[in-house]
Amino acid sequence: MLLSVFYKEWLKTRWFVILYTAMGIVAIGYIFMALKHSFNFSGTRSIWSTILFQGNQFYKIFKFIPLAGGIIVAIAQYLPEANDKRIKLTFHLPLGENKALMVMQAFGALSLLVAFFVFLGLIYFLGLIYFPVQMVWDIVLTVLPWSVSGLSAYSIVSFIILEPRWPFRFLYSIVGGLFLSFHFVHAGTACYGPALSGLFLMSLLLITAPLSSGYRFRKG
Amino acid sequence: MNNAIECNNLTHYYGSKRIVENLNFQVKEGTILGLLGKNGTGKTTVFNILNGFLRPTDGKCLIFGEDTQCLSPATKSRIGFLIEGHVQYSFMNVKQIEKFYSGFYPKWKPGSFWEIVKKLDVSKNQKISTMSWGQRSQVALGIILAQDPDLLILDDFSMGLDPGYRRLFVDHLREYAKSENKTIFTTSHIIQDMERLIDDVLIIDFNKVMVQSSVSDFLSNFKRFDFELENDDVELDNETLIVNIEKVRNKVELYTYSSERDIRNYLAERSVTPINFSQVTMNLEDAFIGLTRKY
Repeated sequence: MLLSVFYKEWLKTRWFVILYTAMGIVAIGYIFMALKHSFNFSGTRSIWSTILFQGNQFYKIFKFIPLAGGIIVAIAQYLPEANDKRIKLTFHLPLGENKALMVMQAFGALSLLVAFFVFLGLIYFLGLIYFPVQMVWDIVLTVLPWSVSGLSAYSIVSFIILEPRWPFRFLYSIVGGLFLSFHFVHAGTACYGPALSGLFLMSLLLITAPLSSGYRFRKG
Repeated sequence: MNNAIECNNLTHYYGSKRIVENLNFQVKEGTILGLLGKNGTGKTTVFNILNGFLRPTDGKCLIFGEDTQCLSPATKSRIGFLIEGHVQYSFMNVKQIEKFYSGFYPKWKPGSFWEIVKKLDVSKNQKISTMSWGQRSQVALGIILAQDPDLLILDDFSMGLDPGYRRLFVDHLREYAKSENKTIFTTSHIIQDMERLIDDVLIIDFNKVMVQSSVSDFLSNFKRFDFELENDDVELDNETLIVNIEKVRNKVELYTYSSERDIRNYLAERSVTPINFSQVTMNLEDAFIGLTRKY
């Protein structure tokens, strides 16, 4: 049964997940090509200097890609369910309603996590070509909250789409927007380090938020 | 015979607006019951409560003895559910939707699904979203029949279908239900379809059950007499004898559960001499309109 739910979610989201992953890979590829270009034309010393002493985040174009990915996957997954109240079909499957929703959420979160590890892996290994491990870890720590924002955005958008009443959707959008802004507070390289575990934990907990919308939908 | 569905003292309000109050009915296993009512009389509310998509203000419904607000997966697997408008997963194609649903139902019968689908002019790779309403209805029916459920709950199955597809849907469903001893609870705005399908009828009007009986009993007990009046100023309003009167100038349609003799006696008591008095044979739609009034 769980595999069947995964199959349904895959049919809905596959092109969007692939598109998002490809978008991230292309962006990371572009970041490192531009870096190589800078090394060639401006010299290693100059680039290192801007990174170490001026806080140059040469990978900044990656910042909102995970956020966009989370939003895209949530829309691809839940809009077809909200249209014509198709979620009724899912709730009617011989599977607990909450269990069905959690399996759907698990699918979305897993597909985002796969992309997340692909991106981090690329950033890490491509980074090692140009920088020592300590600097690469700093870069990873800087992009982590941006990557986690994808997971948070996914849960928040799912929560909003499944909510049956527009005033609540509006309220959730405001609160969700505020929470998402925590992932993008202007900070120097690796400054999110101490807050990362808390942010990640909150994002994980948010995965259960659509249970509330699902319950409200079922009880009219 | 056990009850497949049982609703007791069902009451629901939307805000302060009363939709149903103290509604009681049962659907026996192996029967086909049609729920009829005008728009706004609570049919959709009843269906939503039955499917667990609405919590009633008071009272409760049971399906196979379980409260519909928390049906177990085992009980859900015994229920085939058709959403109004034959809504299905339109992003899937025929092959995918069969594969998807087969993973949930232990008694899944692929033959039943493909038997219906092969009658349609569609390929296995055609997406549901590109199909006509009629084709979608058949796919939805195929899914329900392949589940081999003990109870089928069908919300407005005629919606959007042309006469050919409606007939196909109804005939297939009735044949299936009768040969396999299945229970069906359904509603439709097209009462001719209901008459062809159902054994029993439940007619609700604002806040009350007007009829629950077999269709044949209802149509033999509920009568319509047509006649003309010499004087069209006469008021006929005996609530114990007359269920409804539709009067246009001097032409009268009188609906009643009483006998012809009782009606004739009543008219005689009122010094009314009916002209061209006759009993008119009614189908279910005529009887429904006669009972619930045209307006």
